[in-house]
Amino acid sequence: MRNATRALLIAIALAALAAGQNVDSNMLRHPPVDAWLTYHGDYSGQRHSKLSQITPDNVGQLKQVWRFQTGQTQAIKASPILVDGVLYITTPDNLWAVDARTGKERWHYQHPANNAFHIGHRGAAVYKGNVYLTTPDCHLIAFQAKDGKKKWDVVVADSDKGYWSSNAPLVVGNHVLVGVSGDFDNVPGQLKSFDADTGKLQWIFYSTPPAGTAGSKSGGATGGQMWTTGTYDPELNLVFVGTGNPTPVLNGGVRPGDNPWTCSIVALNPNTGKLVWGFQVSPHDTHDWDANEIPVLVDGDFKDQPRRMLMQASRNGYFFVLDRTNGRNLLTVPFATVNWAKGIDSMGRPIPNPAKEPSRDGVLVAPNEAGATNFRPPAFDPRTGLFIVNAQDGYGIYFFKPEHGGYGWAGADYGIAGKSSLRAIDYKTGRIVWDHPIGNGAGTAGVLTTETGLTFSGDNRTSVVALRTGDGKTLWREDTGRMQNAPITYELDGKQYLIFGGGGSLLAFALP
Amino acid sequence: MITRCLNARQTFSILNTCLLFAGFLSAQAPSRDPAPNPSQSPAARPRPKPASTEAWPAAEVKTGETRFVSQCGFCHGRDATGDQSGLDLTRSQLVADDIRGEKIGPLVRAGRPDAGMPPFRIKDAELQAIVAFIHTQAKKFSEFGGGRRSVDPADLDTGNAADGRAYFNGPGGCSKCHSATGDLAGLASRYHGLILLERMLYPSGQPAPALPKATLTLPSGQTIVAPIAAEDEFSVIVLDPTGTRRTFSKSSVKVKSDDPMDAHFAQLGKYTDADMHNVYAYLATLK
Repeated sequence: MRNATRALLIAIALAALAAGQNVDSNMLRHPPVDAWLTYHGDYSGQRHSKLSQITPDNVGQLKQVWRFQTGQTQAIKASPILVDGVLYITTPDNLWAVDARTGKERWHYQHPANNAFHIGHRGAAVYKGNVYLTTPDCHLIAFQAKDGKKKWDVVVADSDKGYWSSNAPLVVGNHVLVGVSGDFDNVPGQLKSFDADTGKLQWIFYSTPPAGTAGSKSGGATGGQMWTTGTYDPELNLVFVGTGNPTPVLNGGVRPGDNPWTCSIVALNPNTGKLVWGFQVSPHDTHDWDANEIPVLVDGDFKDQPRRMLMQASRNGYFFVLDRTNGRNLLTVPFATVNWAKGIDSMGRPIPNPAKEPSRDGVLVAPNEAGATNFRPPAFDPRTGLFIVNAQDGYGIYFFKPEHGGYGWAGADYGIAGKSSLRAIDYKTGRIVWDHPIGNGAGTAGVLTTETGLTFSGDNRTSVVALRTGDGKTLWREDTGRMQNAPITYELDGKQYLIFGGGGSLLAFALP
Repeated sequence: MITRCLNARQTFSILNTCLLFAGFLSAQAPSRDPAPNPSQSPAARPRPKPASTEAWPAAEVKTGETRFVSQCGFCHGRDATGDQSGLDLTRSQLVADDIRGEKIGPLVRAGRPDAGMPPFRIKDAELQAIVAFIHTQAKKFSEFGGGRRSVDPADLDTGNAADGRAYFNGPGGCSKCHSATGDLAGLASRYHGLILLERMLYPSGQPAPALPKATLTLPSGQTIVAPIAAEDEFSVIVLDPTGTRRTFSKSSVKVKSDDPMDAHFAQLGKYTDADMHNVYAYLATLK
């Protein structure tokens, strides 16, 4: 590039920077390369970047640019958000603004100590100069992005009743969608929408309505919490969210029937919170297999017909392809070891085998409670049609006896053993195209693919890896500490960055 | 447990003393990394007797509860009786032996990385409050009796020992590696209930099961056989005869791994629930 042109481009870029990125609905639909605006980077949940500076040929030259240390015991499990050259990263009770070029802290918010679970945090959200944070004690707080000044603080749910939040909110229009968790108490599953400007509650969607709600179909189940971040199709104006397991967790006897909408994918109207359709991936779950895994949106051919699809590799071990316009099933096939279903019903749902329900003397079940996958987000590579997921083949033993009661966990289960892989699924058939082992136990790293045919993720020890998307071959690795989030990528000043969590640190890599 | 030399013809070249090597293994049982199953429910054991029955100030217990619930509760349960992956602390021998945090404190600060517990940086006063809460809970639950997640040994007695023996010696293939009169003699007097079942399915915890072994071929052509402390796609960490961890990069050394646990893992996909209960019933007779 000629110097004059380069100077002009830099000047334009600097002018844009001074003005700041206005994160509005349009930008959220079309995120620029120098931003990562939502948990998934965009509304599709594909975690696929069009950036092409880092290629299979040069990925071996990646070098660390900076490292940000949170100084916290908790590992980073969040996807950072990037806007205006600033990264927003979270751990439970903590939000940092970090300079994306240098890794230096701009500001830090520390939430007061509280009596709620601090198991992890998935990240922040941004909209129009605000940064939104959920806290373990179920507050939703809006900050001024530029300086961290608190604008408002609302309570999402009552943490004294057993709710907590680790959720990265999803912003759609003027709606901030926030989910909560709660496995250890019999509490209704709820997703709430708040006004992005004021924090005023707009609507509540109950996956399991509160006791006494007329017309409830949940069969007495509670739970079905929506603790991961959904995806959004602007043309259909539908938000897609995975719902968690029913409670009591292992005792299914006190909640007869399928227990909708637990362990389901639900399509909601973001303006009203009304259910448009639901698809249950685990009817009457008794194994803690939340269906909270990311509902990834893909447009493409299925059996030679163009389709607007939704794909989920679910914790119960099955890979689902749905038509997202109506929730109808196109494909259900296992992607990991399963032994709990008798078959697939006419709607494409696995049929639970009653013989694998928790029992007094114990049953050996695959997958185990940690699941065939879990919170770690997958990626979809549109070039190859590969859905790449951090999968586990595992076994657990499940117990229930009446003495365990009907509240909270209501049973006992123990993981026995598991082996993990990064696994590439051909979405058209469910065939496993390649399998890249990453170690014993359940994995923790999410996946990112890029347009140049690279797959980034982490193994079960301390490495970040770059694989060739086509065949899963390792092209690069670096010892960073165990990755417990998903990688992201962006371009700043003409340079493509890759950001990984390694333990309690956030690390930036780029070509020299 | 490996108590014999892995292969008399292959020697460990670094210190080159096979006997020392075997001696080390029987003296110390290094844990597998990463631990495949950190949860060993002690629910089937009798509660240990506490070394101290000290009463704690209510305010301190309350503070401890707040910190415990938020930092420890997801794994160990809000009431310290164990949950998704952590031990029931009210039945823990270490907690019973602890006096004013002398044992709990160092463990909390160091963590148990192999079992998935991170180290916690925590102020002395906070730690003391958590210790107060754990001891108070242990006392409370010992008075209640029972356990929320209990699996009693009697719950597991549904199998047929004769069928289990036939499976052990026949289709299960267990007798290829194990013997009721050899390594498993007296097994049921060492383990029972849930612990026996878990160790039968996939041995882990202490004492450690047989470690996988690596056969390393160096660029010189020299061969080393050693137990594996940790392995991934890129390197293998083996224990030399002194117990020191030595790392070999797979880009420079050819590695062949042999994990006796692979047979246990494969078996998990073969057992019917009846097989599992029958083999358990058979092992429970090996007193």
